[in-house]
Amino acid sequence: MIKNIIEVREISKTFSLSTKTPGIKGTLKHFFKRETIEKKVVKNINFEIKEGEIVGFLGANGAGKTTILKILCGLLYPSSGYISVAGSRPFERESSFLEKITLIMGQKQQLIWDIPAIDSFYLNASIYDIEKKEAIKRIKKLSEMLEIGSEIYLPVRKLSLGQRMKAELLAALIHNPSILFLDEPTLGLDINAQANLRKFLQDYNKQTGATILLTSHYMKDITYLCKRVICIHEGYITYDGKLEKLLKKLSPNKEISIICKSKKDIENFKKLNLEIKNINDNQITFTINKIDFKKTLKEVLNKFDIEDLHISEPPIDEVIGKILINKK
Amino acid sequence: MNIKKYLKVYAYFNYSSFSIELEYKVNLFIDLLTSILGLIGSVFLLSIFFSNTNEIGGWNFNQALIIQGIYTILNGVTNTWFNPNLKEIVKYIREGTLDYVLLKPIDSQFWVSFKRISPTGLIEILLGFFVIGYCLYLNNISFSVGSFTFLVITLICSISILYSLWFLISTTTIWFVKTWNATEVLRSFLYMGRFPMDSFSFSLRIFFSTVIPITFITTIPSEVLLGLSPAWKIILEILVSMTFIIFSRRFWKFALRFYTSASS
Amino acid sequence: MKNSTLYKLNTLFKTQYANMLEYRAEIALWAISGVIPFFMLNIWTNNGLNESINISSVMLSRYFLSAFFVRQFSVVWVVFTFEEDALLGRVSPYLIQPLHPFIRYFAQHIAEQITRFPFALFIATFFFILNPQSLWMPSILTIAISIISTFFSFLIQFLMQSIIASFCFWTEKSSSVEKLLFIPTLFLSGLLAPVASFPNYVKSWIYLTPFPYLIDFPASILSGNQTSVVGGLLIQLLWIILFFSIFKKVWKSGTRKFTAMGL
Repeated sequence: MIKNIIEVREISKTFSLSTKTPGIKGTLKHFFKRETIEKKVVKNINFEIKEGEIVGFLGANGAGKTTILKILCGLLYPSSGYISVAGSRPFERESSFLEKITLIMGQKQQLIWDIPAIDSFYLNASIYDIEKKEAIKRIKKLSEMLEIGSEIYLPVRKLSLGQRMKAELLAALIHNPSILFLDEPTLGLDINAQANLRKFLQDYNKQTGATILLTSHYMKDITYLCKRVICIHEGYITYDGKLEKLLKKLSPNKEISIICKSKKDIENFKKLNLEIKNINDNQITFTINKIDFKKTLKEVLNKFDIEDLHISEPPIDEVIGKILINKK
Repeated sequence: MNIKKYLKVYAYFNYSSFSIELEYKVNLFIDLLTSILGLIGSVFLLSIFFSNTNEIGGWNFNQALIIQGIYTILNGVTNTWFNPNLKEIVKYIREGTLDYVLLKPIDSQFWVSFKRISPTGLIEILLGFFVIGYCLYLNNISFSVGSFTFLVITLICSISILYSLWFLISTTTIWFVKTWNATEVLRSFLYMGRFPMDSFSFSLRIFFSTVIPITFITTIPSEVLLGLSPAWKIILEILVSMTFIIFSRRFWKFALRFYTSASS
Repeated sequence: MKNSTLYKLNTLFKTQYANMLEYRAEIALWAISGVIPFFMLNIWTNNGLNESINISSVMLSRYFLSAFFVRQFSVVWVVFTFEEDALLGRVSPYLIQPLHPFIRYFAQHIAEQITRFPFALFIATFFFILNPQSLWMPSILTIAISIISTFFSFLIQFLMQSIIASFCFWTEKSSSVEKLLFIPTLFLSGLLAPVASFPNYVKSWIYLTPFPYLIDFPASILSGNQTSVVGGLLIQLLWIILFFSIFKKVWKSGTRKFTAMGL
């Protein structure tokens, strides 16, 4: 039986933030007396993760994903609750714990900018007490996996963004961590680099059995990599389970925007008994079930002379928010 | 505490720093020129003070020069180790990459104190030793093994106190991010270390022995060189430097607890 | 209809002022870092060094207090700000705005001086409590002229540093050059010792440089020691005009290089 490598029980996190009203008056007031408010960012969450799982934390900006990740890797103290990662309390940051994990943050680099990447690799190797011979072996292996070659001998500032990302990964993985924490890893990357990163993570998980946790607000990261996904909305876990199920739940609907020729058409449209989301001048947006989609669209196109048509998935925030409302 | 590992990491820190600094050769030259000019300017000022009197606070010109030498050595140490690392920690805080440091299985204070080194400072240290050498000749001081050991001990203590002061400022980056105002205050006060403490009035002497312990940083090593320092002063300096180091460590741990509680 | 430039400057100033208030701790610290003149005064008077240059200790106290004020309101750090902005890529958006970037920095400096004023006043009060015999109240005219002279000193230093800052277009670390230039400023401007105390071989050429006009001249006016006021003000103006034209040339050449090749 595969055991739990991460256990989280009733974890909460509250921050104190100082508030300020804008303008000179506000600034002067703030000058003399700072007011703070308490903001509960993570609210009594519970979950368990088994060794070797790839779990995605999905949620809008500010939902609390990064905070949860930081608590898991030991960068933040939880305000209350119980947490165990690889048998340790992460916030104690014991050496034995730190040698098992790695953190990769999108757009924040740990490589030294002006010198060749390989020097940063050797530096990291020495920090994790890896003999140089062994380090060379691991660099070779990871370079092959990442498909990176002589670039590692160039100063980091001379690398392209994609190459830099690969070098960052190498530096982060040289000590063979068993748990990978990735915070928005595809942020700022182009489509190719994003795809490369996802494929690599999948391979890495297959080859080493490492547990991977990642946060993202890109659905694509999650759909490619994760069988299991945890949705966070306003500090709560709104969904924890198989991705397939979530997808079914999430997007049974499509959103269609139509620009009609006249206001009269809009009136007629209302009679169609469709779920109308909003009306803006001559533009009307409505949601339609995927099953009825083709039929309804045909009907609309036949009955109305339309100027323009736009089809999309409803935005993630809305959808995750809807799950919360449903749960309530 | 794996000493071998820390030594290895320190070697890599230095290696990477040297590689970076050598990319900016012009800078090295300008920094060196700045230290030399700073020394000349201070000696010029000293000569103005001494132009109409033979003694200031019981020190004559040749003796006061020794303080300039000690100051230059310590300034060189500051420019070699403390300044570049202060800049580095500001970068970490600003870019949000302190997290990477905290998650490495190595002491974070060690990392933040020794990651960078600036080679020009080393030349300034050498310059300071030359000045001292010249002063010994001027003052006709013969050097015994005893006085040499005491000099080394007091210098180490001075460096420890200086380190603690700079590291305290580095630590405040966690709250303030921009530190060069605090750095300017420290620099202004430390500048007084170029002059004999006894040239200041009594109340200032107290200030410079307690709040900003300049007496311990420059005056006592100079007195040791001149053979003027009683043993109790040396012991006092050792105690003071130990207090400062312990306090700087405690303060760093405190700051980290704040950082890992509040940041977002 | 609002006068566009005035409106721009007004808004710019207000934002910078609000910005400065945010950093109250740092500004207080900055004011404190200006205390070197007081320490110098201590050395001078404690050892009776002023007698040889025929200045009473009272006059010397007033000089150093005035030097403190002049320094507080003429200190410039634009090279560090500009270098940081250049490093972080903030210069490009500034350059395409219809406002010269250095006007932004200028507003920043003025705003900080105003923020700093209460702290400077507090330190001065503290000084007078410790040295009641030095207490004096200069005439309105003296205050007015010393304010003008201090402002001129500020302009000279601002322009000098702006020229060095413009070197950022060619080299990455122009702040090192500034640190180099700071040394003669520190020693020759009168911050650590009044120019009157300098040996004659220095006094013979020092008035050909801008340095004595940065601290010594305005501080002497304020402390009641200065004679050739008009002449000094004119020389300050000349330096301003000189540095301004150099700055314009260097800036133009720098932005041209920037537009052609980037940083």
